[in-house]
Amino acid sequence: MAFPNLVPTSRSFDAGDFPIKTFKAQNGTEVRILYGSNRTNMKMVLTYSNITDANAALFLNHYNSETSGTFNTFDIASNTRSGWTALDSYLGATGSGNKWRYENAPQQVQVRPGISTVTVNLIGVL
Amino acid sequence: MAKVYTGRDGAMQVSGSTVAKVVRFSVESNLETLETTTLGDNLRSYTPGVVGYSGSCTLLYYKENSGSRNTSSLLSALVKTGTTGVSDSDTVQLTFRWIDGTDNNDIKLNAYVTGASIGADTGDIVRAEVSFVGTGQLLTVSI
Repeated sequence: MAFPNLVPTSRSFDAGDFPIKTFKAQNGTEVRILYGSNRTNMKMVLTYSNITDANAALFLNHYNSETSGTFNTFDIASNTRSGWTALDSYLGATGSGNKWRYENAPQQVQVRPGISTVTVNLIGVL
Repeated sequence: MAKVYTGRDGAMQVSGSTVAKVVRFSVESNLETLETTTLGDNLRSYTPGVVGYSGSCTLLYYKENSGSRNTSSLLSALVKTGTTGVSDSDTVQLTFRWIDGTDNNDIKLNAYVTGASIGADTGDIVRAEVSFVGTGQLLTVSI
């Protein structure tokens, strides 16, 4: 089962960084070494407010059965970027050769019987 | 027959007994709406949440010939001695009625009294102001 193809209520994206090591001399001089050509460690926080419990269960099932928790990587669904009108590659990880994985378990909050809010934290990894 | 209701047609009951000297009452129902608008939408959308009931009433502080006071059943649900505070058993069954001859139009509910005030003003009649919040389902709706 792929990542649930639902439109989030809110989405935040952290563009990550290239693998850089920074060294500072005592006189303040900074030396940076670039260890790779691919930007990584992107972060995406997705909130799905007031969705049905059945839809909330899609995330829990995906986390449990498909990705073995935070272990396996995956691609996010097209609707995850809904509302973003620029190129998908700017708001993603795959353009830099990354895949997504869960940074931690999806957080489900019961709002009322049958209605839940789910927050998903993703991280881009090479 | 067509009819416009006025304050003369209103009555309020506590546990089935009509309360004397009610000046005014109001009952409010409200629906919590849960927003389901998502990214990319241009119009807001909602799904229904929890329904609630609340209201208030004003009574003249009145003592019957028998010595009983019309405010006792309401005020005693909140204004009380002891250290236990308010418990589940302190709900009051309220009926708000609009009367047309033998035709009663009712809203009946169980409620907690959440606010009660009573005082005395020079040159004025003593009034008790009571506010309440409904708990559980409405028992009767015939409006």
